Amino acid sequence: MRSVVSLLAILVLLAASSAPAADRVVASTLDNGLRVLLLEDHRSPIVSFQVWYRVGSRDEQRGATGIAHFLEHLMFKGTPTRGPKQFARLVEENGGQDNAFTSQDVTSYYVDIAADKIDLVIDLEADRMQNLLLDPKEIASEREVVIEERRTRTEDDPGGFLGEEVGSVAFKAHPYGFPIIGWMEDIKRITPAEIRAFYKTYYVPNNAIVVAVGDFKTQAVMDKIRKTFGKIPKGKTPPPVLAVEPPQNGERRVVVTKEAELPIVYMAWHVPNHRSNDAPALEVLSTILSGGRASRLYRDLVYQRQLALEAGGDYSYFALDPSLFWFWATPMPGQKPETLEAELSKHMERLKTEPVTDEELARAKNQIESSFVFQEDSVHRRASMLARFELIGGYAQKDTFMSKIRAVTAADLTRVANAWFAPDRKTVGVLLPKPR
Amino acid sequence: MALAGAVALAGVLAAAPGGAAPLAHREVLPNGIVLLVAERPAVPIVAVRVLTRAGAAFDPDDQAGLANLTASVLTRGTAKRTGPEIDSAIEFVGGSLEAGAGRDSLTAALAVQKKDIALGLDLLSEAVLSPTFPAPEVTRKVAEIRAAIQRSEEDPGTLATRALSRLVYPGHPYGRPVEGTRESVARLTRDDVVKFYARHARPDATIIAVVGAVTVDEARREITARFGSWARPSDAPPAITPPTTAMTPREEKVKRELTQSTLMFGRRAVRQTDPDYFPLSVASYVLGGGSTSRLYTKVREESGLAYAVYSWVSPARYGAAFAVSAQTRTAEVPKVVAMIRDELARMTREPVSDRELALAKQFLIGSFPFRLDTSAKVADFLAAVEDQGLGLDYADRYKERIGRVTAKDIQDVAAKYFPPDSFSLVTVGEIK
Repeated sequence: MRSVVSLLAILVLLAASSAPAADRVVASTLDNGLRVLLLEDHRSPIVSFQVWYRVGSRDEQRGATGIAHFLEHLMFKGTPTRGPKQFARLVEENGGQDNAFTSQDVTSYYVDIAADKIDLVIDLEADRMQNLLLDPKEIASEREVVIEERRTRTEDDPGGFLGEEVGSVAFKAHPYGFPIIGWMEDIKRITPAEIRAFYKTYYVPNNAIVVAVGDFKTQAVMDKIRKTFGKIPKGKTPPPVLAVEPPQNGERRVVVTKEAELPIVYMAWHVPNHRSNDAPALEVLSTILSGGRASRLYRDLVYQRQLALEAGGDYSYFALDPSLFWFWATPMPGQKPETLEAELSKHMERLKTEPVTDEELARAKNQIESSFVFQEDSVHRRASMLARFELIGGYAQKDTFMSKIRAVTAADLTRVANAWFAPDRKTVGVLLPKPR
Repeated sequence: MALAGAVALAGVLAAAPGGAAPLAHREVLPNGIVLLVAERPAVPIVAVRVLTRAGAAFDPDDQAGLANLTASVLTRGTAKRTGPEIDSAIEFVGGSLEAGAGRDSLTAALAVQKKDIALGLDLLSEAVLSPTFPAPEVTRKVAEIRAAIQRSEEDPGTLATRALSRLVYPGHPYGRPVEGTRESVARLTRDDVVKFYARHARPDATIIAVVGAVTVDEARREITARFGSWARPSDAPPAITPPTTAMTPREEKVKRELTQSTLMFGRRAVRQTDPDYFPLSVASYVLGGGSTSRLYTKVREESGLAYAVYSWVSPARYGAAFAVSAQTRTAEVPKVVAMIRDELARMTREPVSDRELALAKQFLIGSFPFRLDTSAKVADFLAAVEDQGLGLDYADRYKERIGRVTAKDIQDVAAKYFPPDSFSLVTVGEIK
């Protein structure tokens, strides 16, 4: 709900399809730079209409963290022609569901609604792309809401609390170290003028992608988009993110104590993103380690030895800049966090010397491929997947992604394990429970 | 088991008035299994649910968590395969096979690509029909569930829900947590699991929903081949009685070191078979349903006191509850409690406006297709509708009944279900 995608919750929406869907996508770039992707899907009389702005916490500055997410909340607070609350009201009284999320890289808005209401949604989204009110009174009250959201997600949630600490220690130069929701002090301080400037800079058609999948006629929707979004003047190209995270020169560690029932262990390494030839291998590696109950971490740590209540990992293939490869574990009662830390490290070390089995490799590839097929079942997820690929260079990459995954060999996995997971370049986070 | 028998009882549900296509094909197999099939040919996947009336409501009083433990061991070993072998087989084809228990039922859920349906159904039927409940797997799950319960005690929402269920359903199985308590689960043995499953898992208490890239004929053939010889016992399936003990409104506080407090109001309400259910659903939507609701407007938008504030009806087979929840900074608890009580009382005092009424109805009706937009959602819906005895025309009836609700209906149900002093209240947080 008008929310943050937490650092760890980025269960990357693995997208693309084994069906040749991309050739039916109609793509266009309007004169003002707006990118439009339309895909007809006539199975149900519904549509998912999504606007993805290329702005997230990655575009923020120290002292003003959380501004992208704060603005996302304010996008529901009205324009001169549609006052506060009108957006939600119009969507709901037309049977639609709307929401938004902010991540490190993007801010995404969606409305899922009956297909015959798509014109209304286009009008609403085009309106708030250029005419947002940003009334200081609304900003003041929404600030309190964001503060409550931060309390729920971070202050009062042991996993969120530790994740924020680890992220901020792992990055010393790149804004990926900022919490998406922002530091509490920044949320309290950010001024309406800064929010207005941020909106003007990043909410321009040439910084956005419109994606719709559903039961419509492409030509009619494209015409409507041209008549509405097409009239919005092109903005200046938003400033690029220049920060590059320097190589990590030693292990970093953060230990926090908080009221909790069980400890948590996080480990993170800096790894390359989709631009690297190593990315498909990292994706497969992540699946072998933590995709399902047959995966290595689950089978060994949770199942066979019962050292952990949960253990897993995550890799952000789609990150716009190089990000982190995460591991985590929750020790079983009586087990020590240092035991889990050692065991997670052992799994990584083993990958450096011992090739994975053919079965493991084939299973991981099948799991990745299958997740693509399952996503095709929902118009909402089909639209999101197109946007994710568009963000990293073009929706058509969706069709080459799987062949890159299929080409990964056991030797590739050994190579990337050695290349990226040096024991002295990791960041470790431990949460120690404080007894009640 | 003869196929002909299955066909004899087959009956496609008549199309709803207005010509809406039937949601699914329904037939009763000779051994009593209700088979529901919805064809969704466009995407090459299949979702299957095997739902058995063996939920936590059937846990003996001193064995809370037994249905949940039973479900969690269902896929951990069968006559043909060990648990790890099942995991490897299903994950090798990128599918999933999960079992879990709720209050009313135990469900095994399969998702596979169409090409893997035979393997998927083999694994599913082995888990349902020939689980061996290996002793080491039971011991392992007991430890895991106890640890998960311990960890959940740091989650304020879970703590509030547990306490509120106890207050809303005193003396009824719905008052106990589905997962049990750390103490009750520690007492459970393999023998308990075996007995529970033998008593409750039976074809005449089972619904199988098959949804996706399959035809009705194909589904009938594949399901009958695997589940057709499951013998129906001669006695009647066990039943649960609805809660009889009246609920006494109480307040309970759970102390935790947190910056926010979680408030949860709750009381008993009615389920879908009661005519009040539909106006109650609309009333709940007006009060705390979406991001235009009265509580959202007052507590969040106008006062900035909460990120989350909402109300909901939670119907189940043997009873229903209505609840309101909010999270706010600890210092503002009295203010938010007062606001919620005021808004509940206002619903009983004055009719809702035409615009609020229209919005709530249009949302509830118009958003319904999104409850059925994937094969997995359709399979869940079909199994639930059958289990709860609502009929396959429920989707159409729901829309029709919601469409008829008036402002007076809402005020009438509010008078019955919204008086503020009829609610129990749980607060989790830093309590002085």
